[in-house]
Amino acid sequence: MLFREDEVARAEAKAIRESAGWYRWTHDLVEIKGPDADRLVQYLYVNDMAKAPVGRTKYTTMLNEDGKIIDDVIVMHMDENLYWVSTLYAPQLLKWIAAHDEGFDVACSDITKLYDMYAVQGPESTTFMNALVTEPVDGLKRFAVMDDAIDGVPATIHRAGFTGELGYEIYVPMESTKTIEEALRRVGDELGYPEITILEVYVRSIPVEKGFALRQDMYGLTPFECDLDWSVCMDKEFIGKEALEKAQSEGPARRLMGLEFLNDSYEDIAQREIVYRKGVPCGFVRTAIYGYTVDKNIGFAVIDAKKAIIGEEVTVGENDSPAIICDKVFV
Amino acid sequence: MALHDRLDSHKAVETVWGKLIPEKDAYRYATREIAAFCSNIFQVMRILEPDFEKRTEAICEMSYNLNMGVSGEEYLNTFYDDWNIPEFCEKSSWLGAIFGDYGDEAENMAGRVIQFTRDRVEKELDTCPWDIVGAELCNMTTAMFTANFDLANGGENDVALNMCEARGCGDRHCRVVAERRSTFGLPKQGFLDHMGTPVMPVHNTPEERMVKNGQILRNGQYSNAFGEEHSLEYDYRWLCEFGWAWCVAFPLAVIRDLPDDEDEFLRIFRIIFSTAGKNLFMEPFSKRAVRDWLGAPDSIGDNDPRLMGAYIKTLMDCQLVPNELDAFTKDEVRIKVTADDFNGRFEMAPMDELAIGYEALWHNAVKTLVSAEWSCWFEGIDEDEMTIVIGRKIDKRMI
Repeated sequence: MLFREDEVARAEAKAIRESAGWYRWTHDLVEIKGPDADRLVQYLYVNDMAKAPVGRTKYTTMLNEDGKIIDDVIVMHMDENLYWVSTLYAPQLLKWIAAHDEGFDVACSDITKLYDMYAVQGPESTTFMNALVTEPVDGLKRFAVMDDAIDGVPATIHRAGFTGELGYEIYVPMESTKTIEEALRRVGDELGYPEITILEVYVRSIPVEKGFALRQDMYGLTPFECDLDWSVCMDKEFIGKEALEKAQSEGPARRLMGLEFLNDSYEDIAQREIVYRKGVPCGFVRTAIYGYTVDKNIGFAVIDAKKAIIGEEVTVGENDSPAIICDKVFV
Repeated sequence: MALHDRLDSHKAVETVWGKLIPEKDAYRYATREIAAFCSNIFQVMRILEPDFEKRTEAICEMSYNLNMGVSGEEYLNTFYDDWNIPEFCEKSSWLGAIFGDYGDEAENMAGRVIQFTRDRVEKELDTCPWDIVGAELCNMTTAMFTANFDLANGGENDVALNMCEARGCGDRHCRVVAERRSTFGLPKQGFLDHMGTPVMPVHNTPEERMVKNGQILRNGQYSNAFGEEHSLEYDYRWLCEFGWAWCVAFPLAVIRDLPDDEDEFLRIFRIIFSTAGKNLFMEPFSKRAVRDWLGAPDSIGDNDPRLMGAYIKTLMDCQLVPNELDAFTKDEVRIKVTADDFNGRFEMAPMDELAIGYEALWHNAVKTLVSAEWSCWFEGIDEDEMTIVIGRKIDKRMI
């Protein structure tokens, strides 16, 4: 949990919002390669991967046959017939692919342990990165990757992040991770960009303020119920398309919404805490956290679509903690 | 026609008189009932070992070793993988805390993880069904957490654990703080060193935001910070297995060996459970409460053994113990149950003491709930098939 009075967390959040900060940011990494890699990623994911040429990446959700989200990932087109998928659930993804890759000439593997990952995030992150790498990153587009080097260690730089700020992700061979960490600390100290140490700041507080949800927040919903319409390409085949078309025609049953909690703190609110409108259950909380930019206790909740009305007063949990339904994007 | 074809279905324990006890109430009852049994065996321990430090250290050491054996590195690794705990959560720092948090909520210990960082974890509880047992158990849980952290670390952990508050000691909250020793410059602790003060200040949840029930009762399921979820059904079953293991089987492994011979242990064990049974329905209003709880009709009189029989059967049903009514008359109640089901709730550690303890408890409880004319005994208590009998018995040496 994060609290208003936590000055260490506040300083870390401020660094990301106003200057820059760095942290070890590892997630799972699955490699998909082979002659049918293009076709497979198109089939697995709802976004149009054909629009991501080599060197570009895309955010997308993955659905089950019911058209419900079971993962959300960044698909990175690393080379011809070669993709990296950044997910928090590599073992599950590999099982899912194995169940659906008949007729695709591909090889998939979990390469998480081969690479370590760091993030440099914040409006001044380009300055930070340019002091770190051999080739400046100024020209690197959003959702694009480039090969570079840090202190002689080859590094893949990905302009992306989970903070809603300008930012970069650094992928380095696992055996070189100490070199990269030392470089980040050295350059960060020189330029006044701190290491961000509190997981809940960079995984929850900062992203939630910008409306960035984790897979667990969206699990079991359709992309439309999460306002991810922009990421769905209905002009191709993908797993769950038929059910998603039906869901689209019927309209959303539930909506992933923002919640602003009105008490000073939120200790009585867990994931899945029940949300009540006029005393009647209308949904459940997905996350609650303190946002240091907005200086409020905020979060996400899954709300019955008909009751997902911005500005509506609700209560949460057995203490009737007051809250207001709001947009998912707080800043 | 717009009418519903049928009512919605919900799970419940049905008493012999058709009263339905909702699944959540049955789960809550089972939790507290295990804690009550645990309280009784701790009384046995206090008689057999008067020294607080000696007995506490002994159960700490035993529970540490047994938890290491029961959980095991493979078990925790499976847990880590099954729960999709991301790679950036170092096992050595985090896994013990995640596992502990799940165990708390599965047993209706309601609270929250206050802090969860590489160097510090703080867990706060607002309720604990085991808060009636006493301070030895609070100490014992820290030994079990130590095992969790050691397992997660693949050897001796780097954590200083302090249960700086405990409801079993009279505090408003339970609070366990784990701080990385190498970061905070802390020494390795002995089993009795875990009730100290942590280095960093704690966060005290204000009374108005404390919760009365765990997630299972509030929300119908457990969900952790990684979004992994367990259903009420899953956790209820987990409680009825592991609940008996940690708070009864683990300390019993020490308590059994405290006296020089088994007869002395059983003599004191039976006296404690007998006393508890005699007091179970002493107050006159408690009889009315039991009748309401069971939905007993007025036709069941004050001196009818079926009242006690229905109580025992409902208790076993709430504890998920399979049983079968064999007789249910005004003259006799007979309930069949296997020793495997009754004593082997936690399969790895069956306990004969469950039958012995409940026999003593119920034999005396029936005398206040019904009347002194009635007794309760287990036929075949040493055999695979047991029958719990409530019948009339005259014994000139009855205790």
